[in-house]
Formats: sequence, C-alpha cells, structure tokens
Amino acid sequence: MTDDKDVLRDVWFGRIPTCFTLYQDEITEREAEPYYLLLPRISYLTLVTDKVKKHFQKVMRQEEVSEIWFEYEGTPLKWHYPIGLLFDLHASNTALPWSITVHFKNFPEKDLLHCHSKDVIEAHFMACIKEADALKHKSQVINEMQKKDHKQLWMGLQNDKFEQFWAINRKLMEYPPEDSGFRYIPFRIYQATTERPFIQKLFRPIAAGGQLHTLGDLLKDVCPTAITPEDGEKKTQVMIHGIEPMLETPIQWLSEHMSYPDNFLHISIIPRPTD
Amino acid sequence: MSFSVAGEEDFFLEEKRFKQYCEEFIKHSQKIGDGWEWRTSKDFADGYLSKTHFQITQRSVPPDLKEKNNDNIEQMLFMHVEESLDDSQVDGVCATAEVIRYEYHVLYSSSYQVPVLYFRACFLDGRPLTLDEIWKSVHACYQPRLLEGPWDTITQQEHPLLGQPFFVLHPCRTNEFMSSVLISSRKENRHTNYITSWLSIVGPVVGLNLSLSYAKLASEQNTDADLI
Repeated sequence: MTDDKDVLRDVWFGRIPTCFTLYQDEITEREAEPYYLLLPRISYLTLVTDKVKKHFQKVMRQEEVSEIWFEYEGTPLKWHYPIGLLFDLHASNTALPWSITVHFKNFPEKDLLHCHSKDVIEAHFMACIKEADALKHKSQVINEMQKKDHKQLWMGLQNDKFEQFWAINRKLMEYPPEDSGFRYIPFRIYQATTERPFIQKLFRPIAAGGQLHTLGDLLKDVCPTAITPEDGEKKTQVMIHGIEPMLETPIQWLSEHMSYPDNFLHISIIPRPTD
Repeated sequence: MSFSVAGEEDFFLEEKRFKQYCEEFIKHSQKIGDGWEWRTSKDFADGYLSKTHFQITQRSVPPDLKEKNNDNIEQMLFMHVEESLDDSQVDGVCATAEVIRYEYHVLYSSSYQVPVLYFRACFLDGRPLTLDEIWKSVHACYQPRLLEGPWDTITQQEHPLLGQPFFVLHPCRTNEFMSSVLISSRKENRHTNYITSWLSIVGPVVGLNLSLSYAKLASEQNTDADLI
C-alpha cells in the first residue's frame, strides 16, 4: 500500500518532456536549434527556462531580444500558472514532447503578466501561499512564521529541494485537533473554453454532519454543468497533476497531498478524447 | 448589524453585504454623475464596480527635488480632469501633456472577505503603463510606504473575471485598517457604507478620489435614527 508521503514525492518530482522552438519570425544570425528540457510540473516557466533563454540568445543580436514569452499553438502561456496546470489544460491529450514556441518580441500586453525578474515570481508565489492560508487557517499559520520560513518555501521551490520545502510546508498542512480539516479548501478550477480564467469559491471540506466532502461534491457545488453528462456520456475529464482522481476522493486529502507548492489545488476540466 | 464578527477584531465583509453596499454606492454615483457602474461576469455569477476616467500628466521634476535626488526619480504630477472628458475633448488639451486612461474595478475577494481594487492604465495610443510607472505615479505622501515593501502593495495580477493583466492593491491588510473605521462608526451608531469608507482610504493612493457627497449618503441614512 503506497504511503501518503509517496504521493507528495510523486507530485513534486513530476516532469514534462518539452521541446522549445524559436518563433520563425524572430531575427537570428544563424539557425536556431530546438532545445529540449524536462520541465518540473510544480514550477513556473520563467523560473526554469534560463537555459532556454541563453540557448536562443546565442543566435540572436542583443537588440532583437526583449522580454521572453512562451506560446503553445497560438495561445500565450501564462507563466504565473504552474507548468503542470498549463500542460494539463492545453496539451494533456497530445503527443509528447510538449512543443512550446519561444518569443522575444511583441510581448502580448493584454494577455500576459510581465516577469522582469525572479522577485516577481517569488512575490506571486508567496501571495498564493498567503491566500491559501487565509482560506485554510485565517492566515494564522503563515503569519506566525518568520521571514526566514517564508524564504525557505521559496528557496525549496527554486532549488527543487523537496525536504527543505516540506520542512516548512507541513505546518501549512496541519489543522487543530478538534477540527477534521481546513476551514476552507484552496482550489481553482480551470476550463480553456471560458472567458473567466478560473472558478474559485468558498468550500468547506467537512459537511455539517461531519462527513468528508469529496472531489465530486466540490464539482457538483461550484461547476455542475462541467461534469454532469447531458446524454449520459462523460464529455469531460477532471485532471490534477496529469491524472484523474476518483470523484469519491475526500477533498481534504486532495488538498493535503495533491496541492501545488503554492498550496492550491489547480484542477483542469478538459474535453475527453474521443478515440 | 451588518458584519459577521468571528472575533472582536474581525470585520469581514460578507459577499451579500458587498453587493448591497455596491448597489447603494452606484445609486449615489448615478445621482451625481460620477461614472461608476455595476458589471457582471458573462455567466452572471459575479459582479463588480467599474469606472473609467482620464488624467493629464506633466513629466517634470520640481526644482527642489532636482537637488536632493541622485536617483533621478521622476515625479509624475497629476492634474485632475473632469470625469466626463471624452476622446474628442482630450485631443484639444495641451500637446506636451500626456493623457492617461485609468480603469478601476472593485471586486470581492472571497479568500480575504474584503473588497479589492484592481486598475489598469494606458496612454491614449494604447501603450499600457509599466509597474514602474505606476509605482512612480503613486502620490508622494504614500511613496515611503511603497518603497519599504513594493511587493506588498501594488503588483500586477491577473483579473479573476476577465483574465487580463491589471494592477492590484493588496488586500491582506484591509481588515486591519477597516476595523478602526467600523469600530468607531459602530460606537456612534452611524450607518457606514463599507465600500465608500474603504474606497475613500485606498483610492487616493492610486489617483482615485471620491466626491465628498458620498459622505452625505451615510448621513442621509442617519437622520432617521436621530429623530428617534
């Protein structure tokens, strides 16, 4: 029987084989070879692509290089979403490697946040963690931590150090003994087809009678149309970290074991492949 | 009363109350032609307050600052422009000044149970202001706080309903400063519109000012109580 701790490791060490290709209209001094990289599902594009940037900048003139941005099949990729979420949402049922196009010009101001330094990523990451704790513990746990603990969460992510990260993160996964779980579950549900980028609502992990709410309960409550089959056939998949958890899974367990390092459950609802 | 009090210091704003205060706020805005309107998301599940206005900027460094500043901090001085200014009128304005179009949205955060101010700004040619330009445009009296911890105050974030980049004034301290406002109005048995009070505090930081007549909104509610 797999230990729950193994799930934490499997989530942390998940990788997506990716092929980066320079956009054809970028001006180069010689031909740009594609660059292959295993991307960590739990990290962010701009945090792990320094090598990609260096590789393509080698064949470009300095003046042709502006802020890097990534695109998949015409869709600008939001660097502030975890990589695993982007893949699940846009490319999970396509052949590997994931083909991402790299741009250095014409930054899409209306679609993407700027990311001029690692500080921006850290600020975003920490803001998510704080929001998650506001939901789980009314911010009590995160506020009691020292600055160095906050820094350790970020460093753990940045340097891919599981133990370093979880030494602090485990505190964010605890709850008072008299409760059976968190106050509210930090989650976001994404569908590529909607204008609204995600659905986020207050949702308690424990019902009034004390029973554990499940993933199915959550979906029924916040986006019933996305999962109820109109003609009896399941048209969608509910995906977290590249897998479809059983709808009977307690949401409290999912929150503790399958959240991203930002402490949010990022859930994708995607069309079920028809083959 | 109007707030769910989980503890003595908790003055969280419930979503239903948020919508009621916004409704009251809009009514007054319509009365005085202040330009605020209520918008809903495409699925009608969520709503928010919205207002657009134009401001003229003059790029200049005041003479006394020139001497003190080694870092060459440009202070963008803003002059307030009538809210009713439309594009045709704007073109007639002095050519050396730049006009910036500001769009403000007030959304509800269920995570922090407070309202949050989102805004974006662009020049008339469509070029958006950078985070740096936004930081520099913050009124001089708020600059010290901003320089202390810029990442805690104004950052660029994705608008949760539109999915587009906006600047946001961080909500995590809202409860702190709203508590004192609400405690005192409670003591004096005064009706307060949470949105009016909150916006009059955070708005000026990012160039958004409220007409004093919004205060009349609250006192109109109170005259009835006085007569008892």
